[in-house]
Amino acid sequence: MRILIVEDEPDLLRSIAQALREEGYAVDTAPDGEDGFYKAENYDYDAIVLDVMLPKMDGWEILKRLRKIKKTPVLMLTARDQTRDRVKGLDSGADDYLVKPFDLDELFARLRAIIRRSANKTTNIIEIGEIKINTALRNVSLEEKPVELTAREYALVEFLALHRGEVVTRTQLYEHLFDENESSLSNLLDVHVSNVRKKLGAEFIATRRGHGYCIE
Amino acid sequence: MKIFNSIKWRLQIWYGLILVVVLAGFGFTAYQLERNLQFRQIDDELHRRFGVLANALHRPPPREPDENGQPFDRPPPGQFSEDGLPGQNPRPQLEFHLPEQDAHFFDASDIHSFYFIIDSREGKELARSTNAPPISAEITDEHGDSVNSIAPRMSGLPQSSKISTYKSRRETLEILPSGEMIRVGCSIAPELNDLRSIALFLTIVGGLILLIGLVGGWWIVSRSLRPVVEISAAAVKISAGDLSQRINVSEAESELGKLAAVLNSTFARLESAFAQQKQFASDAAHELRTPVAVILTQPQTALSREREAADYRQTVEACQRAAQRMRKLIGALLELARLDAGQEQMKRLDFDLSNTARDCVELIRPLADERGVKIISELTPLEIPGDSERLAQVVTNLLTNAIQYNLPDGEVRVKLEPQDGMAVLTVSDTGAGISAEDLPRVFERFYRADKSRSTGGNGLGLAISKAVVEAHGGTIEVSSEENVGTTFIVRLPI
Repeated sequence: MRILIVEDEPDLLRSIAQALREEGYAVDTAPDGEDGFYKAENYDYDAIVLDVMLPKMDGWEILKRLRKIKKTPVLMLTARDQTRDRVKGLDSGADDYLVKPFDLDELFARLRAIIRRSANKTTNIIEIGEIKINTALRNVSLEEKPVELTAREYALVEFLALHRGEVVTRTQLYEHLFDENESSLSNLLDVHVSNVRKKLGAEFIATRRGHGYCIE
Repeated sequence: MKIFNSIKWRLQIWYGLILVVVLAGFGFTAYQLERNLQFRQIDDELHRRFGVLANALHRPPPREPDENGQPFDRPPPGQFSEDGLPGQNPRPQLEFHLPEQDAHFFDASDIHSFYFIIDSREGKELARSTNAPPISAEITDEHGDSVNSIAPRMSGLPQSSKISTYKSRRETLEILPSGEMIRVGCSIAPELNDLRSIALFLTIVGGLILLIGLVGGWWIVSRSLRPVVEISAAAVKISAGDLSQRINVSEAESELGKLAAVLNSTFARLESAFAQQKQFASDAAHELRTPVAVILTQPQTALSREREAADYRQTVEACQRAAQRMRKLIGALLELARLDAGQEQMKRLDFDLSNTARDCVELIRPLADERGVKIISELTPLEIPGDSERLAQVVTNLLTNAIQYNLPDGEVRVKLEPQDGMAVLTVSDTGAGISAEDLPRVFERFYRADKSRSTGGNGLGLAISKAVVEAHGGTIEVSSEENVGTTFIVRLPI
């Protein structure tokens, strides 16, 4: 899961980004509106955390422009908590709204919720045969026994599971699992896929030669 | 009672009472004048008849037959009777004979039906007209009015005279010097009828005038008090919290119309002050939220797992920065609040503003050097009364802005000179300038032209500067041209 954070307060930006990375997300950051819109336009993020008050281009403007081209789920982050502002935010295409100061756990939960909704899932549990994926607790079990996965492996499983039945290209996987600062060594993805197959069964992830990967 | 608390009712009752008193007074006077006039006419008639009767009273002549018969024994037919019994008294009785030509005075068919009763000295009835009331006047006195005080004008004749009004009779009683008592009376029914119609007429006219007065008064009072009703209706809504209410001013020229206009402008000011206050509070909360968010999320992230000492240090430093920003903001907010409330007393000591400005320039120079900005100052020594610390704050703030929003290798010019009896301090920069759209709002609280927090300001500096300058009785203004620079001009009274 790759997430973009647009926030102009550097300390806040840093702590949110760090916390989300530690949760296993790939995180990109933007310190102002222009940079934020550029990134949002050019990468397919799984979700965007967007501050309202930003230099150069404010959150409303980014949202307005982005909604013309993409459906990326957006969580608005703002210091204004009047109903009018919330309504404005939700009406202009935001998927959720969080008022500063907030609790990081709530931010994570809301992010999971908007990502889940965008994948048309209603619960945190995804079941594929004997495999259960809990997206809230971020764990996977096989035949009711927990399976130890690294954060990156889990992210791979979750992304493929959320796009179950679709063929996910390697490029897509790179974009969603690694952030802008990581060098995307092509064999890194193969290593993760083979590790997951070892832990959850070789047939869990099918390879479509020349296309990508797929969970049936 | 509610009615007596209402101005409308009090006014109505008051002029209603006045009107009643005036109308009743006029009506009563008119009625009395008319009544006196009519009675005076009657009294004149009565006196005339009294004269006739007095002349008709004779001492009896030596008893010898008269060619005309016996006038005392034989009164004119059907009109008079004579009760006199001659020869019974030691003194000779007066005799009464009404001459023929005077008989018409007591014609019974007359609407007034004049009558007379003549008593002798001893109280015996000498003569009476047939239409005289059967009961003596003294007996019916209880029905009578008080004695009418109209004095007899036929001087010389009677010694005592008394005019009385009984139910529908008026009677004059006079005693001749010789002791005979003559009463002459008449019915005053026609006069009383007249007076009754006059009274009725006066009452109706008076009632109509009263009605017109009350209705007209009610109309005028209602009309002129209508703005009061509207004012109080608007005031009720405003006190209930709806500050957008205004009074509908229909009569702008009347006293209440002017009051309504004044109140409307007061309400407008109140509303904008409230809106400003609300905006200010929400902005202040907003400004505090972000540092609080930092203080909340930084430790949360740091504590989620074991970390290196350097990570913890970073977290603590971030929290410290946030806390310092909050402290600065709270300080500025309190200062503004005090300036708003007029609590912040400005000292009024004479000091040299050029020295203060020079100190500020020296203080800020490291920041300017860091950014590669050159400060050029032209400071004319100038004594002004005021609070040097506060004004130093203003100068520092303007200089900081001029440096921070300047381009690298830019210039900041500080100039102080007297002009038109004012000390004029000009701070101009060669920065990017402020757009025409943002320019009028730069003194607003929390207004930032670039909407970012990157400069570290809290958006209150210029608002505070403005408040300080205005507390000194001065003005501050700004002009700017994009990509050329911005100039702030502070004028202070010398």
